[in-house]
Amino acid sequence: MFAYAARRILATIPLLIVATLGLFALESSVRDPVAELRVSCPRCDQVAFDRLIDLYDLDKPVLDLSNPAESRYVAWLGNVITGDFGSSTSQGENPVSDTVFTRAKNTMILAIPAFFVIASLATFLGVFSAVRQYSKTDYAITGLSFLGIAMPTFFFGLFLQVFWGIWFHDWFGMRPFFTSQMHDDSFVDLLKSITLPIVTLTLVVVATESRFIRASMLEVVHSDYIRTARAKGLSERKVIFKHALRNAMIPVVTIWALDFSALLGGSVVTESIFSWPGLGPLLLTAIFAADVNMVMAIILLISVLAIGFNLIADLLYGVLDPRIRIS
Amino acid sequence: MPNTAIDLHQLEAEGLSIKPKSFGRQTWERFRRHRLAMIAFVILVLLISSFWIVPILSPYGVREINIQDAAQGVSWKHPFGTDPLGRDLMTRTMEGAQVSIYIAAVVALISTAIGTFLGALAGYFGKWVDALVNQMINLILVVPALVVLLVVGIKFGGSVNQVAFLVALISWITIARIVRGLFFQLKEADFVQAARAAGAGPGRIIFRHILPNAMGPVLVQITLVSGAAIILESTLSFLGLGVTPPDTSLGTLIAESKGFIDVTPSRVLIPGSILTLLVLCLNFLGDGLRDALDPATRKTRQ
Repeated sequence: MFAYAARRILATIPLLIVATLGLFALESSVRDPVAELRVSCPRCDQVAFDRLIDLYDLDKPVLDLSNPAESRYVAWLGNVITGDFGSSTSQGENPVSDTVFTRAKNTMILAIPAFFVIASLATFLGVFSAVRQYSKTDYAITGLSFLGIAMPTFFFGLFLQVFWGIWFHDWFGMRPFFTSQMHDDSFVDLLKSITLPIVTLTLVVVATESRFIRASMLEVVHSDYIRTARAKGLSERKVIFKHALRNAMIPVVTIWALDFSALLGGSVVTESIFSWPGLGPLLLTAIFAADVNMVMAIILLISVLAIGFNLIADLLYGVLDPRIRIS
Repeated sequence: MPNTAIDLHQLEAEGLSIKPKSFGRQTWERFRRHRLAMIAFVILVLLISSFWIVPILSPYGVREINIQDAAQGVSWKHPFGTDPLGRDLMTRTMEGAQVSIYIAAVVALISTAIGTFLGALAGYFGKWVDALVNQMINLILVVPALVVLLVVGIKFGGSVNQVAFLVALISWITIARIVRGLFFQLKEADFVQAARAAGAGPGRIIFRHILPNAMGPVLVQITLVSGAAIILESTLSFLGLGVTPPDTSLGTLIAESKGFIDVTPSRVLIPGSILTLLVLCLNFLGDGLRDALDPATRKTRQ
């Protein structure tokens, strides 16, 4: 298993290098700070330009294969390997890692509760509609999940804002437009701020997961060992929860790992709509500001999370289902 | 020919005189029985045709400015309200919806072409061709799709065609995977072995024998990919990295109106609902097609 994990990681590293190189080159070419300064400050002397060139390393090409040591990408990669992600050009020249770390903590405040809501709700809905297949409830859950899959996340977030912020705003006294401004006061305030972002994060994922769990559960429920369990007189509760559910959840573990890593990487859409100071809005502003170090650090974090959790999921699959030989 | 009458009689008894229905006709008959998919299909046709008919009937031009009617809510004069420049939002929403449909169509076309081609090559030839295509897919998937599109979007986004092309660059992957899997299965099938034994070359086998048999699942994927493309495009445009003014898509309209959400929520809710309805219908259509094309694998309903 260890060899398998090592091989998987080694196979991903070249891909990650090529992908980050492409994105690095793209992001570096979005803006030309020197030309911008020449327009915005025509009287600036050479010192200002030199400082800018030094700040952005503009005297070096992104990647020069004949002289890799003098390329911006190689320099960046070397620094990243030693744990130095460089300094931000849009967030006041602070080290990128500090900002990313604070924002990642904020993202986790949303991501972890959201994951538990998603996992429990999707399991409940999926199992329920599989056990009551073709019942009215099953059709209702199926219809709702189709709606949840079809609804773009940003529209659902805005809809919640209209619903709780305008139509029913005096019910819970939620002001869902600027959640970030109130979450330091008390736990209740924090809860009020994170509720709607979490509901928004939940919808699409619950919709897809519950469909998946339903399908997995249906497959198991119609298998022979479930018939055996029923035939030997077990109660329906035991059949469903002890025999069927445990087996049906094996493939779900993979989905959970992927969804959890996606949540931890921050949601650009949801966090932006609710002005939540997480990784998503940071990435968006960094992209617009062509803050290469910041963009690359967040992308690297998101990708490594996705790759890591994907690997964990595959390893877990092998542990949970001994029939699967990992090789 | 003395035996004709007897033969016909015999055929009748064996039920062989009935003209066999073509695959397309059988599929259509099964699809028609799928009530939800049929409803979705009708709504989709009505919706899409209204996107082109309403602007023609509308008394207002798409870019016609009326400052005295600025920033109004829903009214008889302006059923969807107006924007801060007094432009009629019904006309603008329809124009935005046309753009969303256009992008979905272009994405479906490009990603089907690329996905089918690369998937077929990978599945049929296997070995290093398969490994190469796989590495291309893994390379795109190593960074989450939306993040890639955001970074690429700021450099190459903006116009409608550019955004369509960018979304297609991500979307072909699902189709390629499906086609690759089908080719893996089908290349060992008896009819392919027979064609090969009869001396058919790879080109003929791929295009005449395997591809027609793989088109069913691809058709289902096309509807799903178009739905996903509409969501991706509108999300990009909403974040300001997709279609940007003066071009309009449904996502751009919502991005423009989200600052006024407390004054005229209808400006967000109407384009958003159209977006949701479009994707919902496409997904139901795909579901119905899946059941109709392959009755053996249908699981959802009887």
